[in-house]
Amino acid sequence: MLIVTNVSKSYGKLSVLENIDIEFSNGVYGLLAPNGAGKTTLIKMLTTLLFPNEGEILYNGTNIFHMGDGYRDILGYLPQEFGYYKNYSARQFLNYLAALKGLERNLAKVRINELLELVGLANVADKKMKKYSGGMVQRVGIAQAMLNDPKILILDEPTAGLDPKERVRFRNLLAELSRDKIVILSTHIVSDIESIANEIIMIKDKKVLYKDSINSICKTLEGMVYETSIDYAQANRFRNHYFSLSEKQEGDKMKIRFISENKLDDSWESVSPNIEDVFLYVYKDEVIKEG
Amino acid sequence: MDIRIKEFKKIVTSPIIIGLLVLFIVYNSIFIFQNSYFREELRVLTRLVDRFGYEIDDEMLEKYRLYYEEQLVSLNKITKEKTSKNYNSMAEFFADYKYGLEDIYDREELGLIMELGIMEAYYNTIEEIDEVYSSLDIMERAESEINKFQLIDKAAETVRNQYKAFSERFQQLVNNKEHKNLFFLGKVYRLHSILFKSLFKIIIFEIIILVVLITAYIVNYEFDNKTEAITYTTKRGRDLILDKLYVSIFSSLVVTTIILLATLALYFIIFDYSGLWKVPISSYFNTDHNFPYLSWWKMSFVQFLFFTIGLVYSITLLFNGIIFIIARAIKNTYFAFFVFAIIFGLFLILPRLAPNSSNTIFIGAFTPYFLILNPHVWFMEGGAFATFKYHEIVTLVIWALMIWVLSILSIKRFKRQDI
Repeated sequence: MLIVTNVSKSYGKLSVLENIDIEFSNGVYGLLAPNGAGKTTLIKMLTTLLFPNEGEILYNGTNIFHMGDGYRDILGYLPQEFGYYKNYSARQFLNYLAALKGLERNLAKVRINELLELVGLANVADKKMKKYSGGMVQRVGIAQAMLNDPKILILDEPTAGLDPKERVRFRNLLAELSRDKIVILSTHIVSDIESIANEIIMIKDKKVLYKDSINSICKTLEGMVYETSIDYAQANRFRNHYFSLSEKQEGDKMKIRFISENKLDDSWESVSPNIEDVFLYVYKDEVIKEG
Repeated sequence: MDIRIKEFKKIVTSPIIIGLLVLFIVYNSIFIFQNSYFREELRVLTRLVDRFGYEIDDEMLEKYRLYYEEQLVSLNKITKEKTSKNYNSMAEFFADYKYGLEDIYDREELGLIMELGIMEAYYNTIEEIDEVYSSLDIMERAESEINKFQLIDKAAETVRNQYKAFSERFQQLVNNKEHKNLFFLGKVYRLHSILFKSLFKIIIFEIIILVVLITAYIVNYEFDNKTEAITYTTKRGRDLILDKLYVSIFSSLVVTTIILLATLALYFIIFDYSGLWKVPISSYFNTDHNFPYLSWWKMSFVQFLFFTIGLVYSITLLFNGIIFIIARAIKNTYFAFFVFAIIFGLFLILPRLAPNSSNTIFIGAFTPYFLILNPHVWFMEGGAFATFKYHEIVTLVIWALMIWVLSILSIKRFKRQDI
């Protein structure tokens, strides 16, 4: 079990995370927050790249920074900005990382072949990576994270650069892998984790806002999400009164999904909230800023 | 081991490093060839040493004189036949012929003329040795150095003390007759300057450029390629920096060996030192300019060469350490290179700002940066700032300790640093 206890992190005077407490056991965890909320900082601490200013991170009761290579040996990590060596082939690159991960040479050879097959790169394994598309590079990244068959797999924005087909394939792969592992998947794309995450962690204002199952988190908006059709002319006035979650054209009207604490009109249809609704509502200030 | 081999491969597959290595060897070869126009003349001494040995004593001198006179008689036979003239010396002969020798004498005769001319030059030099050394005043040299750098008070006193110590060695050198040994005529060929002042300085700068590039390149490879997040979270983790240090040391020693081997092999193929390897480096003939090269210890040419090579290796390791510390702190290869260049410049400029009355002015001389400027006077009397008996060793030991401590701190810091 991986436990984050009272962890705070700041860069100089800029505080990024404060008093974070999270427990991870086997399963898939979706770390969901807009860019800049501190996801990558948390992940970098979980991967020992950053040191917390306060608090500690324990794996099976031992501080991960004291465990040293014992901890990193069970860690697989795909960072957000995934660099690679352009003149290496995928096989060479994986070989290099296998050496760093302490894999015995023959075992590494077998494992690399398996993984290349798994991520669909077996036929281009010996081509230089500079010839790869963004999606192919990302798949090499996923393969390297799994080289040492990690007990803790941390993936920061893993679907960036993947096409829709690859995303589906990746999600299935992850669901299969997650049975006996802690998988922490950071994303700001809700659909990536909606179907596979056992729990969602949301960070807001430097703190953990939610760490719960999707159903439980969605319940926080129970009875507050509605859909209705309005004239385009009314759209602006409507948006000023209610927080719009999504809008789509339906004939000559606009179908709007929105938040309201009470049902004020019979034409409003109450709908079940989904995780994207929660995300948009929770981060409405950030979303508006980003928009 | 596997990791270190893979790190080493990064270096040998770097086109810049390999390209520069080749370029430097080509440049050194061109430099050697450009200075080789007199190589045939050097063979005259090799033949003389074969015949008489290199140690100058009365017996050798007598044999030398007889042989020279014998050869002069042979020449006079030819000149008598061709120009009806006789000569008492080659100086007299050459005074007659500023130009046009080739019109009168054939190739074989010209060879004899050249050989005799050179023989006479060596003979004349032998004759002047005692006079020169009896007028050599080491303390006068000290005063001239003090005046050159306008040193006063304690600084001037330090120079005087060092030269006083050197005077004893000078007396020993004269008693040992280290100066009375045949060697290539320095004032004509300046081979000591060509080899130790120019070529070794070029070699050292080339090695430093490569060492800086290799070390910065390998230390920052992950940061330059944005793979640090992957590599430093593997089982090997931040201990990878140790592998990088070892590989950079190994690679630096390899490029040093390649450059030294290639350059010196060509040099000694072009310039034939056979028979002269064991000649003391302090031989009077090895005087390139007005003052002879005088070593602190009795050393043969080959010993001096090997000590110089040893010092080059040591300096390579020092610079390896310096750039390791810089590159570790600055996570960018090219930026690290510039910072190294700036520090290099500062180490050369700053000591000059020290007061000329204080001993602090000598601190700047005890740095590897200063050391590499004067490889031709390593282990020798080397002017106001370098005439300390253990100048090279003290510099090496102090800097090796400093760099060792700083490297350990740097590695420790890296292990506790946010990436």
